[in-house]
Amino acid sequence: MSADHAMSKPSQTGQQTGQHTGSQTEQQHGLSEKGLKAGSVGLIGAVVIGISCIAPAYTLTAALGPTVAEVGVQLPAIFLVGFVPMLLVAFGYRELNNAMPDAGTSFTWASRAFGPWIGWMGGWGLIAATIIVLSNLAAVAVDFFYLMLAQIFGNPELADLTTNLPLNIATTLVFIALACWISYRGMETTKTVQYVLVGFQLLVLAWFSVSAFSHVANGTAFDATAISPDWFNPFAVGSFSAFAAGVSLSIFIYWGWDVTLTMNEETKNPEKTPGRAATITVLVIVIIYMTVALATLSYAGVGDTGLGAGNPENQGSIFAVLAGPVMGPFAILMSLAILSSSAASLQSTFVSPARTLLSMGHYRALPQKFGRISPTYKSPSYATIASAVAAAAFYVITRTTSENALWDTITALGMMICFYYGITALACVWFFRAEAFSGARAFFFKFLAPLLGGVILLVMFVKTAYDSMDPAYGSGSSIGGVGLVFILGMGVILLGVVLMLVMAKLRPEFFRGQVLTRGH
Amino acid sequence: MRYVVGYSANARGHDAVNLAVSLALGRGASLDLVLVVPEVQQSGHALAPKAGFENLLTEQAQEWLDQALALVPSSVPAQAHIRSHDSDAHALIEAAEELGADMLIIGATSTGLFKRFTIGSVASALLHASPVPVALAPHGYHRQEALTRISCGLGTRAGAEKLLEFALGMAANRDVPLRVVSLLALDGDAADSADAAREYAAKCLADALAAGGPAVPGEAKAEVPGEAKTEAQVEAKTEIVVAHGRSIEEAVDRLDWEDGEVLLIGSSRLAKGRSIFLGSTAGRILRALPVPMIVVPSDYELKHLNHSASSDTPREAQQ
Repeated sequence: MSADHAMSKPSQTGQQTGQHTGSQTEQQHGLSEKGLKAGSVGLIGAVVIGISCIAPAYTLTAALGPTVAEVGVQLPAIFLVGFVPMLLVAFGYRELNNAMPDAGTSFTWASRAFGPWIGWMGGWGLIAATIIVLSNLAAVAVDFFYLMLAQIFGNPELADLTTNLPLNIATTLVFIALACWISYRGMETTKTVQYVLVGFQLLVLAWFSVSAFSHVANGTAFDATAISPDWFNPFAVGSFSAFAAGVSLSIFIYWGWDVTLTMNEETKNPEKTPGRAATITVLVIVIIYMTVALATLSYAGVGDTGLGAGNPENQGSIFAVLAGPVMGPFAILMSLAILSSSAASLQSTFVSPARTLLSMGHYRALPQKFGRISPTYKSPSYATIASAVAAAAFYVITRTTSENALWDTITALGMMICFYYGITALACVWFFRAEAFSGARAFFFKFLAPLLGGVILLVMFVKTAYDSMDPAYGSGSSIGGVGLVFILGMGVILLGVVLMLVMAKLRPEFFRGQVLTRGH
Repeated sequence: MRYVVGYSANARGHDAVNLAVSLALGRGASLDLVLVVPEVQQSGHALAPKAGFENLLTEQAQEWLDQALALVPSSVPAQAHIRSHDSDAHALIEAAEELGADMLIIGATSTGLFKRFTIGSVASALLHASPVPVALAPHGYHRQEALTRISCGLGTRAGAEKLLEFALGMAANRDVPLRVVSLLALDGDAADSADAAREYAAKCLADALAAGGPAVPGEAKAEVPGEAKTEAQVEAKTEIVVAHGRSIEEAVDRLDWEDGEVLLIGSSRLAKGRSIFLGSTAGRILRALPVPMIVVPSDYELKHLNHSASSDTPREAQQ
């Protein structure tokens, strides 16, 4: 039972009616009871939510290039292998979410399992990852915004505006500010809009693949490459470094999928829907990823010149380069699909760091003002704005120091996701250690799967971090002879450590374990 | 009687509570403070599960409602409710219907920099859909005493009797004077128009008194009127005022308004069935008005009185 809850509970609420008075179960859990609603999401709805959280069009354009740069033609293999640790960790995530539903997720769970210090860093990892993805989403949206303008007005020069540094930064900041404002106002994408966006993305990606394959068949492809079984063999990847880097990138492409597993209460059939939705979502996603990956490789090859998927120029955003040659005049649909999906994701992703920061403020792991909720819009107010400022700052720093900001942020992001997912998975193992051997189901979902997933991810994290010290890593940007990706990734984590120490000085209650208690 | 108060923990919410207290004091009504929180959806990001945020939101909402209840004096019974809905207006209307409320009270806005009333989105949505009268508190309303006078804005169109009956009932029940107000925007022939308006208002008033006088059900359901106050007494406390200016706003400005006064106004012709729609003139009155305004749905009385003439609906206060 947290001291905080006892204090902030209303002392005299008159005759509180309404369904929200779940304070009894609090005694056992240390976490407030959730206000459950009758299920309203059906199978298709859950799948749509899952796919829209992944935002495949955006994810592919951002991650395909960097992954090819690491693993070459073994791209399909890595995309398949990358799903395994994601799946293992997601099982643990689901168990934790069922046992302790909380807005702080990784932060709260790691605090309950390992105590305040690791918990704080787990929360920091989550926040850092979402802040980084916010800045990347905004940047990709801006790229395609200018590309679409160029396509609309038939003036290719407009697309080059995005390479104008001050203009690019200014536009990106505007996008971030707009998304922040929408999120602050508590507005959410409606179901209909979500269905349309998801359908449109899938349609355009399918169109892209079909066009690419027909170019290959007609002999008009840039660098027609025959598909070989070797592409599906993960062991054909040159080195463990490349493998680790590839896997940490492909964690990113499935990031968001775990939402389908955690949607228990709101589905119409909580017994079956989440599992089925998760399966269908991942099938749809894998099919789309495989098709697009094969289409891209067959059409463009992995060469490092021209349209080749291995060309460093193309890494940041592969569809910006390929959509035109492949889809001809219809490339504007690709721009529209990516712009709309990354803009929608940008806005919805704001919710995530904001709620984690809110939760950390609430549990006194951050200054009180992070726990503020806007009286007018009933959204996390201070936390949302803080997230926007952080994302903007991160973007400005990367953009001005990196030769290819998009590429380097995605690589750093993959690393950060491995970091906090790893911590979360191990938190699951440790938190449930007493029940781990109570049955086959518990053994697998609460122990084996998260243990394997967590260890794999942390190994990937350490390996990628170590390799990224090489100045040639990623896009090849470096500061003082150390790779920029390492500086970004480690810098963010170190910043977290510093802030944690400052917080421990300012508000020691949380760090003494007085707010969130360990164990059951 | 129950009044539903749309509360939010900002200046707007305070305005609403104050007005609700003022209205309740004269009638012994009880208040239901309703705080609407958005339905948290899982449609956002995978890393932002709804469950935990809902808890924090509910906890915060209860804290806010505690503060709100503390604003209500002990002489007025009050309850607090948390409603979860994506639309504040919908949730308030649902609450009003469920609780059998006789009025909805909200703060109109907190951002009227130059004009006292700039209708917020919730208020505007309510004014389009509420089946019960909606009271709008102006920005910075801080009075917590019973009303001292009731004004009723009258248009020149036919059908104002229903509104007047409601106003008469309200004034009688609260034992305060009624002022029938005709607002005219004129350029030239002021005197003639004013006379015509005054005549019309007098005729309407006479009709309304004849039709039911103080025994108007809308406000008087729980009362046993008639015996206590004779028509003459009510009539004696009623005056008719014609105000004119180059614009409606100027006409409103020229009238004197008591601190403890409210203006009653009928909803527009555009209103469908039992719901409110604020006409453009009423909207302009609202912007210039220094006192609270209560907008009454077009056939609010009809549901009690069983009149057959459907064309006989009150219309917006001014042409």
